[in-house]
Amino acid sequence: MPTARSHSCATRALPAALSMLGMVWLPADVRAQFPANAPPPASIKPAAFPPFEESVLPNGMRMLVVRSAKQPVLAVSLAFPAGSAEDPSGKAGLAEMVAGLLTKGAGRRSAEEISAAIEGVGGSIGAGTSADFLTVSVSGLARDAKLAFELLADAVIRPTFPERELELLRTQTLSSLQLELSQPASLASRAFAKALYGQHPYGRRPEPTSVKAVTRDDVVAFHRANIRPTGAFLVVAGSLTQAQAVQLATSAFGMWQGRAAAPSARQAPPTRSALELVLVHKPGAVQSNILVGNLTWKPTDGRSYAATVADKALGGGANARLFQVLREQKGWTYGAYSSLVRQRDIGRFEANTEVRTEVTDSALVELLAQLKRVGGERMSPAEFDDAKNALTGAFPLTVEAASQVAQQVSSARLLGLAQDYVQTYRQRLAAVTLESMQDAAKAAIRPSEALIVVVGDAAKVYERLQKVAPVRLVSTDGSPLTPGDLVTALDVARERLLVARSDSFTIFVGGNPLGWQTSTLQSAAGVWTYTERTQIAAIVQQSTEVRFTSALEMQSVHQTGRQAGQDTKIDVIYSAGRAKGVAITPAQGGPKTVNVDAALPPGTIDDNLLTPVIPALKWAPGAKLAVPVFMSGKGATGAIMLVVTGEESVKVLAGTFDAFKAEVTGGDAPITIWVEKGNSHRLLKLALAGQPIEIQRVR
Amino acid sequence: MILTPHIPVHLEMTMSHKRHGLRLLLALITVGANASLALAQSPGTVKVESFTLPNGLAVHLVEDHSSQVVAVDVWYNVGARNERPGRTGFAHLFEHMMFQGSANVKKAEHFKYVERAGGQLNGSTQADRTNYWDLLPSNRLNLGLWLEADRMRSLAITQANLDNQKEAVKEERRLRFDNQAYVGVFVDSLSLIYDKEKCFAYAHSLVGSMADLNAAKVEDVQAFFSRYYAPNNASLVIVGDFSAAEARTLVRTYFGDIPRVIDPPPVECEQPFNTGAVRRRVTDKNATLPAVLQFYRTPSVSHPDYPALDLLSTILGVGESSRLNRLLVRETKAAAAVQGALNPVGPVRGPGLFGALAIANQGVATDSIVKLLDAEVSRAATSGVTEAELRKAKAAYLANTMTGRQRALNVAEAVQFAAMFLGGPDRINTDLARYEAVTVADVKRVAATYLRSDNLLSLVIVPEGK
Repeated sequence: MPTARSHSCATRALPAALSMLGMVWLPADVRAQFPANAPPPASIKPAAFPPFEESVLPNGMRMLVVRSAKQPVLAVSLAFPAGSAEDPSGKAGLAEMVAGLLTKGAGRRSAEEISAAIEGVGGSIGAGTSADFLTVSVSGLARDAKLAFELLADAVIRPTFPERELELLRTQTLSSLQLELSQPASLASRAFAKALYGQHPYGRRPEPTSVKAVTRDDVVAFHRANIRPTGAFLVVAGSLTQAQAVQLATSAFGMWQGRAAAPSARQAPPTRSALELVLVHKPGAVQSNILVGNLTWKPTDGRSYAATVADKALGGGANARLFQVLREQKGWTYGAYSSLVRQRDIGRFEANTEVRTEVTDSALVELLAQLKRVGGERMSPAEFDDAKNALTGAFPLTVEAASQVAQQVSSARLLGLAQDYVQTYRQRLAAVTLESMQDAAKAAIRPSEALIVVVGDAAKVYERLQKVAPVRLVSTDGSPLTPGDLVTALDVARERLLVARSDSFTIFVGGNPLGWQTSTLQSAAGVWTYTERTQIAAIVQQSTEVRFTSALEMQSVHQTGRQAGQDTKIDVIYSAGRAKGVAITPAQGGPKTVNVDAALPPGTIDDNLLTPVIPALKWAPGAKLAVPVFMSGKGATGAIMLVVTGEESVKVLAGTFDAFKAEVTGGDAPITIWVEKGNSHRLLKLALAGQPIEIQRVR
Repeated sequence: MILTPHIPVHLEMTMSHKRHGLRLLLALITVGANASLALAQSPGTVKVESFTLPNGLAVHLVEDHSSQVVAVDVWYNVGARNERPGRTGFAHLFEHMMFQGSANVKKAEHFKYVERAGGQLNGSTQADRTNYWDLLPSNRLNLGLWLEADRMRSLAITQANLDNQKEAVKEERRLRFDNQAYVGVFVDSLSLIYDKEKCFAYAHSLVGSMADLNAAKVEDVQAFFSRYYAPNNASLVIVGDFSAAEARTLVRTYFGDIPRVIDPPPVECEQPFNTGAVRRRVTDKNATLPAVLQFYRTPSVSHPDYPALDLLSTILGVGESSRLNRLLVRETKAAAAVQGALNPVGPVRGPGLFGALAIANQGVATDSIVKLLDAEVSRAATSGVTEAELRKAKAAYLANTMTGRQRALNVAEAVQFAAMFLGGPDRINTDLARYEAVTVADVKRVAATYLRSDNLLSLVIVPEGK
């Protein structure tokens, strides 16, 4: 055995001798000039593809055999007309889990034995669901066809559903769901489906709670009701003959009998007569994901071909209008596309793009305008031909291998399309005229009654989107939000905050000056300290010290006091994005102690710092100002909203000033404040709602 | 536009399987051929017609009229291996430049022509080659050839295009390397596996350093094009529904008068093996779970030991029933996912790599992962593998080959691969025999020869800040 090996290599891979052959091959005088224009297409050939044959087995299974002797390989799939739309209410995700478990223990084999058997012959097995179908697939070499059919039959007829495999799959499902729920594109499609389909099961998506609710009994019941031979569709693609495939299918499935339960009754999806915009608030997002669309029709609708051409011209790639306008002309996005989705009950049209937050509304308006144009404005014959030709040209690429033909034919058949769908696809496309395309576009793409979903930072886009369509604001889990919930990181003018100063206020109770508040703000070595002392008669006394850095990172808050006979105290230290400490606050029945330990979202300040922050907020007529706070007395994060409701002159002990009047919510009780309009934006007056308490600036 | 590191890092973060599993039995694999089916068991012969133009362009044609598709596939004999210190990332940057327009094709028009025809296209960069392909309906063969010829003869190398694509590449680097768990660490580790002095060709990352990308000048790019993007440094493969006579005429018309250049200088790589184990602990700001990445140096693709190593890598690291998955994921539940692969960043003519990546389950110490990986690898060297495992790996190779041969583009890539790495396009038809001939003794021998501890680089990857 060598102890030190070395390896050398040289660049030239192609023997130079080869080049000599060419010398005799190419007479220089017959060389043509290189053309400056792309050569025209040669005449189009009829697309030939592997022959296929459809039949029905005695037990009611339909069977499609696509034969290609090109390679001795095999791909078999078996589809059942029961996908995630058959998930019972509250158990969304069940069908997908059933699919996952079918190959994790079946017949006499364990999960490991199944993978060892199929991988042992170089093959693979798996299953998945769409809204309408559950499909089990196995592939490998044709010589192992018997094993492939045996494993497939075991999976669908004799699954054992081991409890431990269910638990393992549940863990995996929950963790991928967690990932999914963090991705804007997934959030958009989930919100879109939910709003578009309403109570129709196409609107349902798995949730952590529904995945956790699935029991083994549910799995067994779903299998018993839905995984039955009658109505199932078996597809065999590869080098097997029709006779071989029938023989294998008969021996694997011949004894299996039964009809699936009737599909559950389904509520019709909502109809919509005006634009609706669902805005999913993802705080801090730098991009907005936009989805726009509407319901269309059943997959058998005759207008489908014409609509496909319209969709191609609108959003079917880099030559299409959406891409050309939103990306090439405007530079708003990396891509913009549209598609027509076929589903058994009812299909949909949708267009999607991701854009920078700042251009969200402009991009949406432009997108809607393009959707309107495609049906509403006459398209040039050249553009129409380009779209049609691209679809016609792409067709051979979709039926190159037997497995692709099988995929095309089976999805068409499962959706109820004609047997000759694939053979006649090009002719039917060819029959589409400019007029029929535009009629279909008007029917399939309806921007005036579309559903719009935007996932993004609603704090930045909410108001501008309201000008496009009525906005329904929701959180990422779908629960309703109000504009007041839109809080971003603290946005302040630091030069107005980080100024050493001292302030003094008088506190009036019922019009009588019964107390005072003084505060100072000063810095040393880059650390700012805010101290505040308050006294109201003998009822309230409080002393607070908050430390923070010039970067507005919190360091600590210490507060001691006494309110109505109860001692109060806060000692909280901020470090590494967390707040930790203890808070004792007055409560009915005695002081309440809170152990504080919470993550602090970036850009959050301690709520005791609100007063000195007020001058640094971006005051303006009508401004809605959000201050994300950590309420150290409660150990919870929240937001203080300040909404400028008026501008008026206000008289306080320090003088008469022009002021912004603002309503402040989000703290313990609503208050009204008046802030000086000039540059300093000092707090002038504060009044508690519903209580006769008022605080006025003294100097 | 696309780098193709199939770094073994695109692992799904699947959770560990719960079953205990070594009772798994490979005995089951003996479910053999069904004689009554009487089916062929080979992918058949690919008939390749090869010739070379006077300017040095190697051309390989494979006629196949079973579907109306044609693949046009150009390989340039250039990749990261041709880069020099201070000029890394050039091969990939250049791949981007190839989509920026040429004399008769405006910027980004290549995409539009192909899309309008209903076709597909892409390009990719590896250490040893850069490829560009167009998959088209067969009546548009002329379009694919015209587009490839136009950019081979007249690429538009302008400052504006360069600036624009430098930014695109930097963005790609940020997106696909700097912000991906484990990938950055992998890329950085190349310089620990290969000797920077003796084999710079493979001792650097193909995406290049930001500093080198920033420093790229338009003259450098022009020089790169002149040296490497010439017919005598390229090969053209056409597979699908066309007539060879017609293709010859088109190729001659479009490519025949592109001038040949001086052959590029050879690439040197004197890489010593078995220089002692290197074990490092590195941090990764993108990782959330610790992981272990282990590499052993292996010989080139054309080396006689390569097929045995390839089959061994399948036995160890590919699929649910692989040794590493059974031990680390299912039996001990030490890893959330594990995968092994030979030449994870593409085939090389110089020394290659066997790599394994195991992502630790929550709460599992990386030390125990390292021990398990070391133990499983050395078990292959001391006790070898079983006949059933070898049969499985061969079946997987055969099935992959046959499945691939159904598609024109895959056949085109296989012809290019055979021409560059195996010594000639016809080797596409003899490669399987190299695999079939491998015995369990061969596998044990190559395991003992290459997967030895003094030939190892072991990286423990720790999430930053943990």
